[in-house]
Amino acid sequence: MYAFVSGPLALIAFIVFVLGLGIQVFRFFGMTREKEPLNISFPKPRQKDVDALRPPEGVSKKVRLKGTVLGMEPFLAIVTTLFHLLLILTPILLLAHNLMIERAWGISPPSLTEGVTDVLTVAVMGFCLFFFLRRIVSARVRALSTAYDFLLLLLVFLPFLTGFIAYHQLFAYKTVILAHVLAGELMLICIPFTKLVHMIFFFLYRFLLPGEYSFASGSRVWR
Amino acid sequence: MAIAQARNVDPALIQRTLAQHKPQIRFTLAVCAHCSMCAHSCFLYESRREPKYMPSHKMIHSIGYLFRKKGNVGLQELHSIGNIVWNRCVLCMRCYCPLGVDIPYMIGLARRICREQGVYRLYDEG
Repeated sequence: MYAFVSGPLALIAFIVFVLGLGIQVFRFFGMTREKEPLNISFPKPRQKDVDALRPPEGVSKKVRLKGTVLGMEPFLAIVTTLFHLLLILTPILLLAHNLMIERAWGISPPSLTEGVTDVLTVAVMGFCLFFFLRRIVSARVRALSTAYDFLLLLLVFLPFLTGFIAYHQLFAYKTVILAHVLAGELMLICIPFTKLVHMIFFFLYRFLLPGEYSFASGSRVWR
Repeated sequence: MAIAQARNVDPALIQRTLAQHKPQIRFTLAVCAHCSMCAHSCFLYESRREPKYMPSHKMIHSIGYLFRKKGNVGLQELHSIGNIVWNRCVLCMRCYCPLGVDIPYMIGLARRICREQGVYRLYDEG
């Protein structure tokens, strides 16, 4: 059973994950088109007019930060950034995962020590708990939350929980490790087809946003 | 502000507009992570502090609702959507989604559907 789950099923999960994301990228570019350039020529503004509009030094940066998510809600911005970074980096830099890759393909990707990844795993679980509580406590988030949102949070939480239990061998190891692999594969398969697809759309949407954190100058528009 | 009231709903017309933008609507609703981080970018939310003024809330309960119901909505539902897109949003285009969701486009689409059904803002009546 374990051989099947960690062998062919893992391969299927990775193929579905990569192909699914590929299809979503393809769909995105199908749904959007290149914007026509505006054929309007504006006179070049005079330098002194440009200077007059510029806020004084120092104030500019402060004002700019105030208008961002980081400026408005620094705690949330830091927590969500850390959560997303660790969510991706922890499994990639985990020694046990990389040893399996080395055994299978003979390449050894860089790994962190087991102690460090253990702490990072606990951090990810802590962040999941934070987002869970936020969905219940904050009126703002509660107004938007559905059962589906909680389910997706659980989907992300489970591989880390089972991984943590398996590493510390708290329960029947064989059962837990099987559950861990299955939970990980389920999450991978779900990413392209659920709200977790924001993993890729976060970047794809940058083609639609002119001016702000955009790719290709946000030169695409909806078809 | 006063809104023109429709006498009846033409679901076929709503469905036609929804069908024209189906991939975009589905795509947008699929990406919105319900994180509420767009809230502070709306000046109406900032002044009233009520969740119903959050850009995502307005999007989900207008175009999102029409999409989920496949255009089969009653008069009352249409008027409540009209209230969202005309009174709770001024379409200032300043809403900011950390994931990049094009919220104004979706609100604009809901406004278009409302206008097609005769639910629009009566500017002269205050």
